[in-house]
Amino acid sequence: MTVADALMLALGVIAVGSGALVVTSAHLVRAGFYLVVSLGAVAGLYLVLGAELVAWVQVLVYVGAVVVLLLFAVMLTRAPIGPSPDLDRPAGPAALIGAGVGLGLSVLLLDAFRWTRYDLPPPGTGRRVGEQIFGAWVLPFEVLSILLLAALVGAIVLSRPDIGARPGPEGADVVAPPSPTGESAEVVARLERIAARQAAAQARVRAQHAAEAAAANQAAAEESGGEPAEPTRDDVLREQARNVVFRAREAGPALGGEDPPAPETGPRRVENTVGEPIPDDEQPALPPAPPKALPPKDTAPPKALPPRTPGKDEGDDA
Amino acid sequence: MHAVIPYVIAALLFALGVYGVLRRRNAILVLMAVELMLNAVNLILVAADASIKSTLSGVQPEAWAYPAPEPKAGAIFALFVIVIAAAEVGVGLAIVLQYYRLRRAVVLDEVPLHEHEEQEAR
Repeated sequence: MTVADALMLALGVIAVGSGALVVTSAHLVRAGFYLVVSLGAVAGLYLVLGAELVAWVQVLVYVGAVVVLLLFAVMLTRAPIGPSPDLDRPAGPAALIGAGVGLGLSVLLLDAFRWTRYDLPPPGTGRRVGEQIFGAWVLPFEVLSILLLAALVGAIVLSRPDIGARPGPEGADVVAPPSPTGESAEVVARLERIAARQAAAQARVRAQHAAEAAAANQAAAEESGGEPAEPTRDDVLREQARNVVFRAREAGPALGGEDPPAPETGPRRVENTVGEPIPDDEQPALPPAPPKALPPKDTAPPKALPPRTPGKDEGDDA
Repeated sequence: MHAVIPYVIAALLFALGVYGVLRRRNAILVLMAVELMLNAVNLILVAADASIKSTLSGVQPEAWAYPAPEPKAGAIFALFVIVIAAAEVGVGLAIVLQYYRLRRAVVLDEVPLHEHEEQEAR
C-alpha cells in the first residue's frame, strides 16, 4: 500500500460518496454542489494518475463551466429552495439495475486486473500531450472544434424564439413568460407571508410610537402644572402646521389686495417637526406679508411649546 | 501501485450514474447523473493510459495491446470526452429550458411524446 494507493482510495471514497449524494439528494441545488465535490475528487484522481492537463481541464471545464451551467438551469427553472418530494421515481428498478451494473463492472475489472502492481508513469507534461494532440490527433481535434461550434449555434437557435424555437403545434399553448408574482402558489404564499410580516412589524412600530407619545404627553402634562387641558406639543405643532398651510392658501387669492390678516402666514418654520424647515414657497405669493407678519408673531407667540422630550421626533415622523 | 483501484472507482461512479438516470425525474438531475457517467469513462481512459502497458508487460505484445502507437492517447481521449460533454450539456440545457418555457415543467415523466401524432389524427 503505497502513498499513491492511499491517496487514490481516499479520493475515490470522496468521489463515490458525493456521487451517491448527487443521485439521492432531495435538494436540487445541493445535488449540484455535491457534483462539484465529486468532479473535484475525480480531478484529484487524474492528478495522482499523472494526467495533469486532464485534471486542470476537468477543473476548468467541469467544475467551472458545466456545473455553473447546471446551477443556472436549476435557477432558471425556478426550482424550489427546500427539498422537493417529487424528485424521484420509485427506487426499486433503478437500484436493481444500478447495483447490477456496478457489481458486474466491478467484478469484471477486479478479475481482469487482480492485484497487479504497476509503476506510476513519469508525470505527463502538457507539452507531450500538446504534441500528440496537434500531431497525431489533429483531425479529431478539428472535428471536435466544429462540433463545439455546432453545439453553440444549436443552443442559440433552440433558445431564441425569433429564429429557431417554434411555438407549439397549435400556437395557442405557448405559455406567456411567467411574471414573478403570478407564478406558483408557493411564490404567492411566500410573498403574502412577507407582506404579513411587514404589516406586523409596522403595527408594532406604530404601537410603540403611540405608547411613547402617550408617555411623553403625560410627562408634559405633569410638568406644566398638572393642567389636563394644556395642549400637548403634538397639538400645538399640528395647529401651527395647519395654520401655515391653510392660511397661506386663503391668502393666495387675495394677492395684491389688502394685507393678509393672518399673523402666522409668514414664512416661518415649524420647529422640530421635520428635519428641514419648510421652504419659503409662500414668499412670492404674499409680497407684503413678511414685514407685517413678523411683529404680531413676536408679540403674540402662539401657545407655548411644551418642553421637548427626546425620542419624540422620530415618533412624529412615523 | 495497484491498478485495480481507479477501475473499481470508475465502475462505482458509472453505476451511480446509471442509478441516477433511471431514478431521477427532473431533467437537470438526469443531466448531472450523465455527467457522473462521463466522468467514470474518463477515469477509465486515464487509468488505462497510465496502467495498461505496464500491466501487460509480461504478455506477448500484440497489436491490440497497443491500440494507439503514441503515448498519452488515453489522456487525449479524456480531453475529447470532456469537450463533448460540455457541448452535450450546452445543447441539453437549451432543450430543457425551452421545454420549461413551453410547459413550465422539467419532469421527464410527463413529457408528451406523441402529441403531434395525436393532433394530426384528430
